[in-house]
Amino acid sequence: MKTKKSGFKGFLKKLYMYRAFLLMLAPAVIYTLIFAYYPMTGIVMAFKKYNYAGGIWGSPWNGFENFKFFFLSGQAGLVTRNTVLYNALFIAVNTIAQIAAAILLTEIHNKYFRKITQSLMFLPYFISWVIVGVMAFNIFSSDYGFLNRILTFFGKEKVSFYTTPEVWPFILLFFSVWKGIGYGSVMYLAAIMGIDTSIYEAAKIDGANVFQRIFKVTIPMIMPTTVILLLLSVGGIFKGNFDMFYNLVGGNGLLYNYTDVIDTLTFRALISSNDFGMSAAVGLYQSVLCFVTILLVNKLVGLYDKDYTLF
Amino acid sequence: MRKAMKKLAAISLTAAMAGTMLAGCGNGNSDANSKSTDSKESSGASSESGAASAVDTSEHVDLTMYLIGERTPDFDEVYGKINEILEKKLNCSLNVEFLSWGEHDTKYSLLFSSQENFDLIFTASSWCHYEQTVALGGFAPLSEDFIKTYAPGIWDVVPKVAWDQAKIDGKIYMVPNYANEFGQDVIAVRGDLMKKYGIDKISSWDDLVKFYKACAADGIYAGQGELWFTYFQSKGYSITGGAPQGGELVLYNMQDPNDLEFKYILDWDGFRDYCHQMKELADAGCWSKDILNSTDERQTGLLTGKTATLIWNLGSCMTYAKQANAEHPDWNVTIVDPNASQPKKVNSYINNGVGINANSKHKERAMMVLNEFYTNPEVYDLAMLGIEGKHWEAVGDNQYKVIDESGYGVSKNCNWGWNNAKIQRTEFIENRTPLDDTYDALKEAFNNNIKPEHVYDGFNFDATKVSTQFAAVEAALGNYYSPLKNGLVDDVDKTIEEMKAALESAGIKDVLDEMNRQAAEYVAKKKAN
Repeated sequence: MKTKKSGFKGFLKKLYMYRAFLLMLAPAVIYTLIFAYYPMTGIVMAFKKYNYAGGIWGSPWNGFENFKFFFLSGQAGLVTRNTVLYNALFIAVNTIAQIAAAILLTEIHNKYFRKITQSLMFLPYFISWVIVGVMAFNIFSSDYGFLNRILTFFGKEKVSFYTTPEVWPFILLFFSVWKGIGYGSVMYLAAIMGIDTSIYEAAKIDGANVFQRIFKVTIPMIMPTTVILLLLSVGGIFKGNFDMFYNLVGGNGLLYNYTDVIDTLTFRALISSNDFGMSAAVGLYQSVLCFVTILLVNKLVGLYDKDYTLF
Repeated sequence: MRKAMKKLAAISLTAAMAGTMLAGCGNGNSDANSKSTDSKESSGASSESGAASAVDTSEHVDLTMYLIGERTPDFDEVYGKINEILEKKLNCSLNVEFLSWGEHDTKYSLLFSSQENFDLIFTASSWCHYEQTVALGGFAPLSEDFIKTYAPGIWDVVPKVAWDQAKIDGKIYMVPNYANEFGQDVIAVRGDLMKKYGIDKISSWDDLVKFYKACAADGIYAGQGELWFTYFQSKGYSITGGAPQGGELVLYNMQDPNDLEFKYILDWDGFRDYCHQMKELADAGCWSKDILNSTDERQTGLLTGKTATLIWNLGSCMTYAKQANAEHPDWNVTIVDPNASQPKKVNSYINNGVGINANSKHKERAMMVLNEFYTNPEVYDLAMLGIEGKHWEAVGDNQYKVIDESGYGVSKNCNWGWNNAKIQRTEFIENRTPLDDTYDALKEAFNNNIKPEHVYDGFNFDATKVSTQFAAVEAALGNYYSPLKNGLVDDVDKTIEEMKAALESAGIKDVLDEMNRQAAEYVAKKKAN
């Protein structure tokens, strides 16, 4: 029953034919337009000398002037590097930890034990970074810190964590994994649950032990999910997690060489002057780099296997 | 600032923009004739009061004012009373919204960028967004005629020098407060420890350093880090309004009116000397190694017994010294002035004030309301002290006694924007302690030793022309500045050189050049007048 009619009439007809589907689609489309596309017009702010009277559209143009401060500060290279390296590290370690957690959870056969374990792992996700910052301070502080109390109890020298920048990549990584593992593993758990159990039965009959079942069946089967999640997180690789860095490191300049990311630097530079244009410019800088990265990575993944790409 | 920032994150999570409407339902009685009978008898502005009452207030309006801080439990009750007066006199009602301490840094500018048409808002130079908001066009300029017409009382009270300070590019954008606040901090210190270490007075920088070292040797933290302000004030210097890092990066010699040179701290030997001394103190253990990450408030150290001192302005030191003594009578906390020999700088009057939103629909009425707050003793007492008989009772015409501070609190409700020394009541104290005497003596010493006016006291740097370099400098100095100030770096000289190089490439020179240019212009204009 193909309609050969083309043009506007055909379009209307199709519109009518699929009206139920289109109606179901509408909320999502409208939501995306309002919350993802419309705000994007605000990009113009990066090129304007913003003032209250003119607002976003009426303020005078400013060319690339707003981008200058970021590069002039001499910190642009450092913070960009920090941001990318931290994110790469977080993505890699988090992905492995989350997959491992998901697999271990599925291997727990006692239902109650599994549920309790999963809930406990999930809990940190709901703790705000502000609280995590306070917890970290109480663990690492040199006066009353938990770790230093243990060290002094055993007669060891105190370690001043807040003046030792080298340890911070590890501390930050630890909290990132600790906080994300429960939430992140849910995706992989779902993917594992979706694997046909007959494959495992076949493997068992063929004599595969538990490790072989994990490495030869589970992991290859959840690969598509893994790649998609990886790609999605690579899309944000130039965006530092402000909440995390700000609450764990705060205003401690001694640690900045190891912990400063684009977002915290921008915050410090502009919090007193409230320059909307410059903040927008840094945001745009990050977005453009993220966009280029995701295009590249997506392409690379496509070279390996077309089915794994996002688009 | 850093601590406030930290709190920001915490509070903004929970804070909602829950605006409580004040019960200003404007129940009729808006007959336009009643108002002229009881207009301005506030501060003897009889000649102008005719002009004010000639202003047409026949239309009832609802105004909104933004203040900084938290809404106290009895706030709505107190402002209900104020609204009764405003209703009767100016035919308007006032709704007050609060921006909490934690969120005002981020939300203040959003109020303007979202084009809200509120009317009045608290503001202050450098610590509460005055310059930035003016630069972005947020406040309505207030002409002399406008002020004289709608707020004759304010025009009478506020001295010319205050209006001059509020001027940016020749225009006034805020009504400054009128109070002699001192810009120098004092120190609340544990008397029992002073006695223990055999130190009977702390009146100079060297005394202070001696006490700090004695504390460290005794195994108690002396304070909560840096003493930068105390140090440069001991040398007679002051921060420069509008300079980077809240003015700390560029100083001027406030004690010598003839010295018009700006001192960029990295080119000043004083800063190097200070940093070396700080390193010595920090290494000795005068404060915690974690000081840069501490979220403690200023008074926490003293009150909890973690530190031996508290550095703040006279009023705050008094408040917390009292509290500490009440909780630990054996501490015998007293107040000392580490720069006793230095003449004192009066804070500029724009350290507190109120601005009118450029988007306000009722600027005239807003100004008249402000005039009431500023000069009507009845409204003034309500806003500052609360309800008479419930929160305070009058002692004579110009004193008060606290009955209950829990619901409202004296001067705790952001009434500072209209501080008016002419009609402000002072506290009457029944059972005087040695601390009260110390406090009064210090206050008198301050008032008797006011420094000569320096032309830069009123100068405020406008960074819009070099905003790029300014932001770059702010971004570049984070790695060095606060570690240096707190003596937490390994090699002071090396870090200073690094910081110098970093700021150099960020364009500090352009900022300084522009600053010198503006200052020269400012001085020339001042001389011409």
